[in-house]
Amino acid sequence: MLMHILNGFVYGGLLYILSVGLVLIFGLRRVVNFAHGGLFMIGAYVGYAVAMHAGFFTGLAAAIAALAILGILLDIGVFRPLQRHDPLLTVLVTFGILLILEDLVRSVWGKDYVSVQVPQLLAGNVDFLGLQYPVYRLAVIALALITMGGLTLWLKRSAIGLHVRASSVDAVTTAMQGVNTDRVSATVVGIGAALAGMSGVVAGPLLTLSPSMGSYILVDCFIVVVVGGLGSFTGAFLAAMAIGQIHNFGIVYLPWAASSIPFLIMIGVLIWRPQGFAGGASS
Amino acid sequence: MSAQAATSLPAPAARPAMVGAGIALAAAVVGIVIPFVFTSPVTLSLATQGLMNAILATSVGFLIRQLGFVSFGHATFFGMGAYATGLMLKHTGLPLEVIMPLAVLLPAAFAFVVGLVVVRVSGVAFSMLTLAIAQVFYEIVVKWRDFAGGDDGLSVNLPTRVFGLPTTLFQEPGDMFRIVWVTLVVILFLLFLLARSRFGRLCFAIKDNEERARFIGYRTLLPRAIVFAISAAIGGTGGVLFLLYNGFVSPDVLHWTMSGSALIMAIIGGAEFLIGPAIGAVVFLAAKDKLGDVTEHWQAIIGITLILVTVKWPHGLVGSVWHWTTRRGRGGRA
Repeated sequence: MLMHILNGFVYGGLLYILSVGLVLIFGLRRVVNFAHGGLFMIGAYVGYAVAMHAGFFTGLAAAIAALAILGILLDIGVFRPLQRHDPLLTVLVTFGILLILEDLVRSVWGKDYVSVQVPQLLAGNVDFLGLQYPVYRLAVIALALITMGGLTLWLKRSAIGLHVRASSVDAVTTAMQGVNTDRVSATVVGIGAALAGMSGVVAGPLLTLSPSMGSYILVDCFIVVVVGGLGSFTGAFLAAMAIGQIHNFGIVYLPWAASSIPFLIMIGVLIWRPQGFAGGASS
Repeated sequence: MSAQAATSLPAPAARPAMVGAGIALAAAVVGIVIPFVFTSPVTLSLATQGLMNAILATSVGFLIRQLGFVSFGHATFFGMGAYATGLMLKHTGLPLEVIMPLAVLLPAAFAFVVGLVVVRVSGVAFSMLTLAIAQVFYEIVVKWRDFAGGDDGLSVNLPTRVFGLPTTLFQEPGDMFRIVWVTLVVILFLLFLLARSRFGRLCFAIKDNEERARFIGYRTLLPRAIVFAISAAIGGTGGVLFLLYNGFVSPDVLHWTMSGSALIMAIIGGAEFLIGPAIGAVVFLAAKDKLGDVTEHWQAIIGITLILVTVKWPHGLVGSVWHWTTRRGRGGRA
């Protein structure tokens, strides 16, 4: 029982780290970034490639750095020029980027599945509340909590965090108050992409790497973003953890319905409160 | 397109409908002749699969053109048509003549009921909703091993005759090419008539400004649900043909990446034109085939094309050719 709960938190934590970037980007730019799954996948592969030569943690750092840069470029090159257009246009463009990223990964690393070793430092099991549980999985849960704590502190305490929160409520008024919203946006998309990269590396030892891993997990991220309340950071955390639990308990107790439940919740939320998404109309 | 619908008051003349019928007839004849000219079964088989995708892309494009709704879940209707045919063949004793129309009506009825709710939301929310509904359906089929075969898919044996004809027709590339081609032509012609009808014009008015149409006194929910259902019926038709041709269907045709491909085909071809999505599908699959031989990067090329088309040529391939030829034509006359 305890093990299923913990496994649920592991998947939920992973999903949270990945989705919170999507939530940040949605909050600020009001775009649904289909390329986010691609960023997750690129992060996983960059981490894997670097880890082969320089160890897991160097790989993790490299992936975070590379993805932060990619995120900033994405904001400057795609989101900023398209911000005055129909949000659906950005959806299609980011979908195109997802295809390009998948192709890139396939041509560099091939289409075979790749598995990644748990780093030496976090290998083995540990006694946790009377249960032998893998250290690495506990580390993933810890990382999700640290990410949430760090983001909350950053958003609530720092000046730029204040600007981020202000911009996601009303970007135009925030800009009128003298905040450089373009710079805020580049920072946020950079951080969102870096988090996607980090979750990709962390996911490495848990899932197997393949060029289609991004488009598979992407749909779960959409559920978190929608169910979590479109741009709400606490909501995203709760939604990710809940979906992690449903995911795991479902596999054990309700295998035939488990994977449908999150989608049904998502459908309910979209029908009940589609306002946050109603393209362009809400501002 | 929509401006025209809003301003032109006179009833649609009969003459353009006759011209449309003439073009459709000519197109059907061309399709029947093609397998005599290109006899390679490999090419014909590929073209047949391409035309089935063209039917799915047409259904996605029709929804965009008529209502401005971008669906990320149309693979559901395609898959529903295919699975309904397969499951009814396997588990019921119904004759194929009854199964085929039922397998088209089922996705339409499902879409109509679902449509009464989902067409109330628009924009990205609609896209997300269709994506979620499609995934529920995908997950159910994957999990339901006993009934639908799960991951392994479902293979069926066709009865020997349907409508007095041998069913081997469905599995012979040349004949199936003709069947699918003619089906596509009929669908396009019916959609052409629909767009010109009162109902079609009402839909354009709703697409233009739903609130205005409602304030003028039109009901706007029902027409949108009907368009969604028609679109689903078209997708389902593609699925029925898919099953008859392959004798097999797997959950792959239900995955959201399949819906995504269909959407890309419609956008690349030009969703505001009746024939755009079908052309887009043919170009997409021809590119996949040809580029697949030359380079492994066809997927990146499709991605780049999608970005270029959405940003630079929002009217798609058909739209660009159309604008280019009409501009040249006018230039020549002036």
